[in-house]
Amino acid sequence: MKKTIILGVGNPILRDDGVGIHVAEELKKQIKKPDIKIDTAFTGGMNLLDMMIDHDRAILIDAVKMKNRKIGDIELFNMNELSAFHTGNPHDVSLPQALELARKLGEKRIPRDIRIVGINIGELSCEFGENLSNEIKKAVPKAVDIVKKEVEKND
Amino acid sequence: MKTITIDPITRLEGHGKISIFLDNKGDVENAYLQIPELRGFERFAQGRRAEDMPQITSRICGVCPVAHHFAATKALDAAFNVAPTSAAKKLRELMYMGYFIYDHILHFYYLGGPDFVVGPDAPAAKRNVIGVIEKVGVEIGKEVIKHRAYGQKITAILGGKATHPVCGLPGGVSKGLNKDEVKDIEKMVDSCTNFAKFSLKLFDDIVLQNKTYVDLILSDPYKLATYNMGLVDKNNKANFYDGMVRVTDQKGKEVVKFEPQDYTKHVEERVEDWTYIKFPYLKKVGWNGFNDGKDSGIYRVGPLGRVNAAEGMATPIAQKEYEKFYETLGGKSVNSTLAFHWARLIELLYATERAKELIKDSEITSQKIRNPVGKPGEGVGIVEAARGTLIHHYKLDKNGLIDKANLIVATTNNAGAINMSVRDAAKGIIKGGKVNDGLLNMVEMAFRAYDPCFACATHTLPGGMPLEINIYDYKKNLYKKLKQNI
Repeated sequence: MKKTIILGVGNPILRDDGVGIHVAEELKKQIKKPDIKIDTAFTGGMNLLDMMIDHDRAILIDAVKMKNRKIGDIELFNMNELSAFHTGNPHDVSLPQALELARKLGEKRIPRDIRIVGINIGELSCEFGENLSNEIKKAVPKAVDIVKKEVEKND
Repeated sequence: MKTITIDPITRLEGHGKISIFLDNKGDVENAYLQIPELRGFERFAQGRRAEDMPQITSRICGVCPVAHHFAATKALDAAFNVAPTSAAKKLRELMYMGYFIYDHILHFYYLGGPDFVVGPDAPAAKRNVIGVIEKVGVEIGKEVIKHRAYGQKITAILGGKATHPVCGLPGGVSKGLNKDEVKDIEKMVDSCTNFAKFSLKLFDDIVLQNKTYVDLILSDPYKLATYNMGLVDKNNKANFYDGMVRVTDQKGKEVVKFEPQDYTKHVEERVEDWTYIKFPYLKKVGWNGFNDGKDSGIYRVGPLGRVNAAEGMATPIAQKEYEKFYETLGGKSVNSTLAFHWARLIELLYATERAKELIKDSEITSQKIRNPVGKPGEGVGIVEAARGTLIHHYKLDKNGLIDKANLIVATTNNAGAINMSVRDAAKGIIKGGKVNDGLLNMVEMAFRAYDPCFACATHTLPGGMPLEINIYDYKKNLYKKLKQNI
């Protein structure tokens, strides 16, 4: 079995931005396997990398902004398809950059397989709140299914 | 219309949009930085259990969870009328030093430093941490990673989790240190002190020995003679965790020194119609537009604000560096925005020295870490976040629930100054309507020095830090648009 980490990324008190957290919390209830760790991360590049290290595979679930897509649409990306990754942290490097840096420095424990389940939230609300909008709430079970399929596919 | 809009600012979060207005000669008349301000925190907080605030507010911002955590904890100390035990106070401060260590290392090597280490004229694609590693070598790169991680580990040992500390409680902390943890932390702290010294040497070699860079630091577009603000201890030395708020003028003379609970007597917030960001200024001096000088109440916080607002550093090696700083840059106050970077490294060194003092303190393993709380009331907590003075103010009802909450975050304190720095950098480079590509970088450098954090939020993919500059001509027609990462 591949050692896998599933990370819900987002700000839990910034409404739809926290959708990744909601998905991860749901997955925690549904997936119980010793080789699969599920966690939440309200953080960006370098800290995300720290959390991913020593796993064969990482699946990140995050709010994304995609042009020409409907709110709530979900897309599965491979890490190397992304040129830039908007870190949640103004003061941090992006994840691709953190990965590039780690590889340059000879880090051998980076997951070989990194995937991102992106949920389109469109423009971000700048208002605090813990609840998801209705459109995004509907996307949560769909994202959960996508992650579960990914997990099984690569087992 | 000539508008320059810079819409993502690489390496900075939020969707910074800069609008630059030109006069009829094509020179810069004014510039505005528009950033999304998170709203509704007061409503969000209302009715919540006060004890939850240190956890909730640590989620406001992925950059400064530790700063919000302790500003909230200290506000609760005051609101519940209880002082932390002596050991608890030291544990909090030690953890706080860990936060400063990782935060300042991150900024210097990853964010602000590339401008100098790689060079201000280097292409944008090279001005990042990868470019830094290429310049200084893989071995040093490993040291950077290692020591940033040490700072994280120190905060994690004390705080429960590095990214979401859970230790702060009104009247103390939830967890003490054991002897093994003390040993681990001491080893890491010693290593960090050496690394901080190395970083200052690197700054000296690369920046201070290079006349072009020193001239750039001292050049007019990067100068701003504002007031300065920061926490100080009883000897007026800079302190990050506790103390009184001291404000000095353009010459380094004390203007006012006040206790946290009196902040509303001294700080007023100005509302402008073009942004949600409020602009704090000194009440006593008054609002005089986006101008510097003694008649304008705008002040600066953060590393440069702090060293200017203090009379020195409380640890010996950092104090020596402090003296060198003022000798080199021409005495107090240093008003050069790019000197933020140097001040940041001096603070890094101080944080490691102070951490060493605390970890060697015989009380640090004490288990007397909490005092019983009193009746709920009102309280203000002020700490120095890595990027400047951070204020939390809560009013509790009789059941200990939040009735009112007000926060002034570091970047808000710097908002007026950041706007002026952006404007002045643009003025320095746009003449007669000529705009070249260097503009983006010169403007970025001006505001990256502050290490601001904007919308403390979002992980939205894809895209780097978007920056857009719109330049408008004197008739307010869009003249030119510069973009990156959009």
